[in-house]
Parts: sequence; C-alpha cells; structure tokens
Amino acid sequence: MARYLLRRFLQLVVVTFIISVLIFLLVHLLPGNPADVILGSSDTPHNRAILDAQLGLNKPLIQQYGTWLTALFHGNFGQSYLNHESVTHIIATGYPIDLELIVISQVIAFAVAIPLALVTSRRPNRAVDNVATTATFGMLALPPFVIAPIMVAVFAVGLHWFPATGYVPLTQNPGTNLHDMILPSLAITAGSIAVYYRLFRSDLISTLQEDFVTMARSKGLSPRWIMWRHAFRPSSFSLLAAAGVNIGALIAGTFIVEYLFAINGLGFELVTAVQQRDYLVVQGITLVVAVAYVVLQFIIDFIFTIVDPRVTRE
Amino acid sequence: MAESVAGPGRARGKDSKGEAVTSTNGFNRRTFLTRGAAAGGVVVLGAAGLSACSSSSSSPSTTAGSTGTKPSSGSGTPVRGGSLTVGTIAEIDGFFPATNHWDTNGFLYANTVYDPLMAVAADGTIKGYLAQSMTSNATYDVWTMTLRPGIKFSDGSDLTSAVVKANFTVLADSALAGKALAQVASVATPDDMTLVYTLTGPNPTFPSGLTTQVGYVVGEAMIQKAASNYAGTLVPVGTGPFVYSEWQPNDHFTATRNPNYWRGGLPYLDQITFKPIPDTTQREATLRSGGVDMIESVDPNTITNFEGSGGSGFQLVDTRTGVIGQPTFSFIMLNNLLPPTNDLGIRQALAKGMDQAEVQKVLGGPPAKPATGVFLPDSPYYSDTHYPTYDPAGATSLVKAYKARHGTPSINLMTIADPLAIKEVQAVQQMWEQVGFQVSITEVEQATIIDDFVLGNFHAVTSYQFGEVNPDLNYVWWSTTTISPIGQIGLNFTRMNDPLLEKAMLTGRHTTDESTRVTAYQTVNERLVKNLNYLWIEQYLFSEVASQRVQGFDHWTFPDGTPGYGFDEGIFVPTQTWLAQ
Repeated sequence: MARYLLRRFLQLVVVTFIISVLIFLLVHLLPGNPADVILGSSDTPHNRAILDAQLGLNKPLIQQYGTWLTALFHGNFGQSYLNHESVTHIIATGYPIDLELIVISQVIAFAVAIPLALVTSRRPNRAVDNVATTATFGMLALPPFVIAPIMVAVFAVGLHWFPATGYVPLTQNPGTNLHDMILPSLAITAGSIAVYYRLFRSDLISTLQEDFVTMARSKGLSPRWIMWRHAFRPSSFSLLAAAGVNIGALIAGTFIVEYLFAINGLGFELVTAVQQRDYLVVQGITLVVAVAYVVLQFIIDFIFTIVDPRVTRE
Repeated sequence: MAESVAGPGRARGKDSKGEAVTSTNGFNRRTFLTRGAAAGGVVVLGAAGLSACSSSSSSPSTTAGSTGTKPSSGSGTPVRGGSLTVGTIAEIDGFFPATNHWDTNGFLYANTVYDPLMAVAADGTIKGYLAQSMTSNATYDVWTMTLRPGIKFSDGSDLTSAVVKANFTVLADSALAGKALAQVASVATPDDMTLVYTLTGPNPTFPSGLTTQVGYVVGEAMIQKAASNYAGTLVPVGTGPFVYSEWQPNDHFTATRNPNYWRGGLPYLDQITFKPIPDTTQREATLRSGGVDMIESVDPNTITNFEGSGGSGFQLVDTRTGVIGQPTFSFIMLNNLLPPTNDLGIRQALAKGMDQAEVQKVLGGPPAKPATGVFLPDSPYYSDTHYPTYDPAGATSLVKAYKARHGTPSINLMTIADPLAIKEVQAVQQMWEQVGFQVSITEVEQATIIDDFVLGNFHAVTSYQFGEVNPDLNYVWWSTTTISPIGQIGLNFTRMNDPLLEKAMLTGRHTTDESTRVTAYQTVNERLVKNLNYLWIEQYLFSEVASQRVQGFDHWTFPDGTPGYGFDEGIFVPTQTWLAQ
C-alpha cells in the first residue's frame, strides 16, 4: 500500500507542477499585453510602470515563472488589481466558506442518502422505494438557483427562521455562523442527496443479488448483519468515487449559491474576478482550487485502499 | 466680485447667510452604470450642478406603503445612535477620487467618509459645503473659493487650501478625471483658506463641477499614500460624518460616527454598514427578512414590488418624480466610426426599425417617461426634435438602399450579461432583423463593457447615462475634443463628430444670458437627434426602499439649514439619517 500511495503522491506533485505552469501561462495567453487587459481605461504611464513592476512583465518568461513560484512558496499570491486586496487574504477568507458549505452539505447528503438507500434497497420497487426514487429524481431536476429562492421565500421572508443573505465567520460566532449556513447548504445538498442515494441504492441492490450474499442468507444471518457486514462495503465504491468527483466540483463550484446568498466564498470571488478580468485573483484562486482538487483525489485514493485493498495491487 | 448665475426658476445672488450661490460645469456623475450594475469599472466622474429645470419639484417621490407608511424625510425628532445597514447593488473599487471609478455605490461610500466642496440644494442651486463661498469675476473665468475654517480630516490634519490644491493636482493628472478639469488653467492659494481657479475661458456654471467626484476632498496623507501605492486607495482619510472602520470588499464596508465631525451634533447614527447583495431578488428578500434596513435598486421591478400591498411596512423613494434637471436615460449607443453604423442612413434605419414602446414593455416595471432626446418635455431645454417614430417600412427601404451599395448591413448589439438587458436586446434584435439587418448579440461583463465604451469597441451597445442638473456636465461625452480613434481612450464614446453640437455646448457653457443658454441646449438636443448616435428609450429609474424605522434618508441640509437635494439619482447622504426607536 505504501508503494501505491507513494506513486500516487509523486503523480500528485507532477500534476500540481503542470497545473502551476498552465495557470501561470493563463495571463500570458491573453491576446496582447496582459497589462493592456488589466489596466483598460486606467492605462496611464504611472499605472503601467507599477503593474509592470508588480507582474515583472519586463523579465524573461521563465524568470517570471520562477519569481511567481518563489512568491507562492512565501504565501504571496499578489494583489487584486481591482480593489488591491491581497489575493492571499481573499483566499484565506474565502476557503473556509467553501469548506463549511461542502462539509455541511455533504454531511446532510450522506446522512439522508445512505439510510434511505439501505432501507429501500432491501425491498426495491415497493411504495417507499418508489416515493424515494421519485423524490430524488425531482431533487436532481431542481438546480440550486431554483431551490434557493424558494427556501428564502419560505424560511427567510415568510417564517423569518433564517437570514436571506449574509455570513458570519465560524470563528466570530459559531451559532450565528451555523444559522447563516443552513439555507445555502440545503440549497446545494439536494443534488448530492439524489446522486448518492441513486448510486448507492442501485449498487446495494446489485450486491444483495451476489452469491456471497445468498450464501450468507442461507447460513441464517440476519438481514441487518448481511447489509452492514457483507453488502455495505462492496456497494460503496461508486458512492466513494462519485463523492470524490462531486466534492471536487463543489470546491469553488458553489458560485450560484454564494451569489444568491451574498457570501464570498472562493466560487464567488473566482467568478467575480473572471468577470472583472482581475487576473491575479483568478490565477491565485485557480491554483488553490486545482491543488485542493488534486489533494482531494489523493485522499479518495487513500480511502479506496482501505475500502478495497485490491486497488493497491500491481 | 461676487456674481452668481441662476438657472430658470431659481433666484440669483446669495443665500440667507451671505454665501455665494453659483452655478455649474464639470462632469457626469452616475454615468454608465449599465443595467444590472456590478460596480466594476464604472467611470463616473461627477455630477450635479445648476438648476436646469424649473418645473422639477425639489424632493423626490416618496411612496407610502398600503398601511400608511410615512415619508422618511426626518419627520419627528431625530434620535442619536443605532447602526444602519444598507444593501447595495455592487462593490466599489476604492476611495480615491482621482483613480477609482465611482458609481452610485461609490458616491454612497463617499458621502459617508468625505464631504464635497460644493453641493446641490433642493431647489437646484449650487452652494458651498466644505467651501464657505465661491465667487467669480465679472467675466466668469476666475473663481475664488473660501473654505470653511476649523475643519479637520479623520487623521487630525486641517482642511486647507494647500490640501484642496493637492487634490486638484492628482485629479488633473488622472487619465479620465483630468478631462473634467481641463478647463482650469491654474489654481493659486493666496492664503490657507482661499483658492483661486483661473479658467481657460468663461464658465458661469463652473462651481457645479465641484459637486462631482472631482469635488470630494481627501487628506494629504491619503494622497501621498494613494499616489505611490494602490493600497493607499483602500483606507479613506476624509472630513466626512463617518470614519472608516472596516472594509471587506464584496462583503461589507463599515464606518463609525466621526466624533470630531465639524458639523456639531451630526451624524445621528453611530455606525453605518454597506453590504453588497448583487441579486435584486435576494436584496429585496434580505430587506423583507430584516437582514438590512434599506436597499438600493436600479431594477424597475423593485418599484412595482414595493408599491401597494407589497410595500407594507416599507418606504419607497424613486426618481419617477422630483429629479432636478434632466434624468438619466436608457438608450442604445451607435458607433460613428465603425461601419455600418458610421452611415447616417443606417442609423436612421435602426431608429425607425426599433419600436420604442415595445422595448419599454420588455423592460417592465412602472411606466417610465419615453425619451426622444436628452431632455424631457418639462425641461426648458426641450425642443421637439422630430425623433424618428417606429416605421418598419421606412427602415426597410433605407436598409435596401444601403444593401445595394455595401451588401447586407451586419450589426453587433452589445449588452451586459444581465437577464433584463438580454431580454431588451433580444427584442431589439428581432425588430432590426425584420427590417433587413443581420444582428448578432454579444454579452459582456460590467467591468469590461466600460473599457469597450472608452475604447470605442462596439457597433451598438445598451447603456444609460446623462442624468444631470446641468447639461454642461455632459459636455465631455459629446465634445469633438474628447474623440479618439477606435482602440484609444476617448470619452466621446460614440465618436460623434459634430462641430455644430460642439459650438452649441460651448455657447451654453459660456453664456450669461439665460435665453441664449436655452437656445443653445435646444440646439444640442436637436443635433443629438439629427446625428442619431443615441437611440433613446426611456427615463432610467433609481429607487431606494427602507424599513419604517429609517428616517431622514432622503433629507439633509447644508450647515445653514438649507435643504439639500435629497435623493440624487439613487444617491443619499447619511449625515442626517437616523433610526426611530
């Protein structure tokens, strides 16, 4: 297993390096001089001199990359050209929001999807299964930008249970933070519930038809024991893989929800920066998101080695 | 000599405290906020000015909710204390007037931490704010300003003529704001409290330019810092009623009461916080759920949503009435240098091929006044421009004539990526295609569309602009002196090159005779329609909605008690806003 993980880690390093090169080139692949694009109507000699110094645009490309990489290792991602805020600060304030949204929404999704799949897979195509399947199908069809306004209208404007917008950091007030995050988390969790439930249910149904399960039944083991000890683990591979992809997509992928609830996670900051051509912010956030995605896949690979040790075999 | 000039319907001379009352010039303020308004690169260089419209009422429209919501204008005795939270449309890019681009939000922030040299009174006159007086010589080409004594910046430094001149110097060096000050040949500071502006030519309305972005004064320390480092634009040093506390861009900006504010007893609020909530529906929902105390909006549907039973418990203020001077208009700009819109026949075809009433329906909201030029019929500068009416047959004929010479005319219609704006251009696309044009649509982001305007990178583009109390404030947008080739910065976005228009604008600026000014601006209106670089649609509406406890948000006064222009095209002054218990 150690060898497998080491190989995966080395792959991670190589992929991260390639990503860093591609992201660095992002600015340089723009048509014309990046300074033209960044400065726009503020293109005065004074501003251009500052920008050239800031970006090192007058140096060879390889040297610029080296300078950028060195700065990254010192935690310096540059500063937003629009509001001059440190990109490191933007990332530092944005990532906890994404992390919290992901954790809460995924905890809810697993907490709903797994028990529901365990129940319905034992008696497929019965009333409970049909209701659950139809409901999750509906959830899959309702994107967050539809769910969010409905929830706001009911729970914020109508019942005043939750705020319509806004966010207080966890470190500032945990209670208020959780209160603020409930609606945004619920808005993105519906799709995850549907995907996890449907995958896990179908894998469970399939596993429960395997010979080793029939053998277990013939030995007189209880259905609950069979489900937990024999069916659960082999049925969770697809769920695990889907969770890896889904959580990866949610890193900076919750823009719509962040926009609607006016909370400045990485997704909101990234899309705003793209719209405003704030390339240093785009560069910084994209790098962090890409690295986070790669690390997440490494973690998923690691979990796979525990769930199914066969994956480590050459 | 203390001269002053009055527009129609207002008195000449001095106010009750002997402070000189003057007039106008300068720059547009809330310029091209494009529909949907993200803050980004809005180039806004000022506004306000001379009273131009005698028929305008002096206060904006305040609509009562169905349960008897009272107007907010400070009824009752103000109460000190409390924290006000305002949901804004978008974020600003900084606090430095010389380099940052202020839109409506920029002016909200500026009115919180800064004061202007001059300001617009409710009757449309221009009065000193930080300036105690401003007077001209007999020929209106030398203006002398005296500052109020005893005013300090938030860092404890004094407001002096040297600081105001330092502000002028950085503004004059600015790529865009500098254009507004091009008419100033020199500024002298004969003593600590006096400035003498010498102009390149007469301008009786010069002081109104100092009510705009170029008239907001920042401390010397901020100038030094902002000029050398962009981080210096992030923390304002001003003389305003509130002082900077915290700014987390795109999340909130908080300012606390200035304990040393030069206007004793003000402000009433202990704290004010602005929270950008870009989505209008969510902004409205946040107000209704109590998350903020008031919101701003440029979506006409907000007015509909908060009128009648929907506005129960809220106060609505909007610009359907009460605008001083000319309101902001929505329109489509046509490029004068790029084919095919460089052809007058094509521009006529586009005008005749667009059903203005149908476009107004698409935009929704309450009925807004249709526009046929840059002045409404209640303006003294209005004249019947014979703006083309919807005539698809005439448009088709013009397109055929062009097609015979150059082939099918192909138009790219640009707008910002906003649902309402996209609906608008889709409707226009359909109309133009029906009369023979090939029309493609390009959606661009708010921040980048400003650069496209300035660089002239468009055929046709939706926008809104020109709301001013004095038409001279729009000079730079139409002047032959601000035209640049495509790809170079030019404030005459359409690149419209009309010497007759230029002559009329300069006549309007320089004359001291009101009838000559009226004739000049009527000519301006007629030339704009004749050139057809603007396809007019309707008045553009701003609104503000507040909960019942917010008082005085559309009401403020000068130090001598004269009422100010309360709700200037979406911008309020928080100095005398208070919260009812």
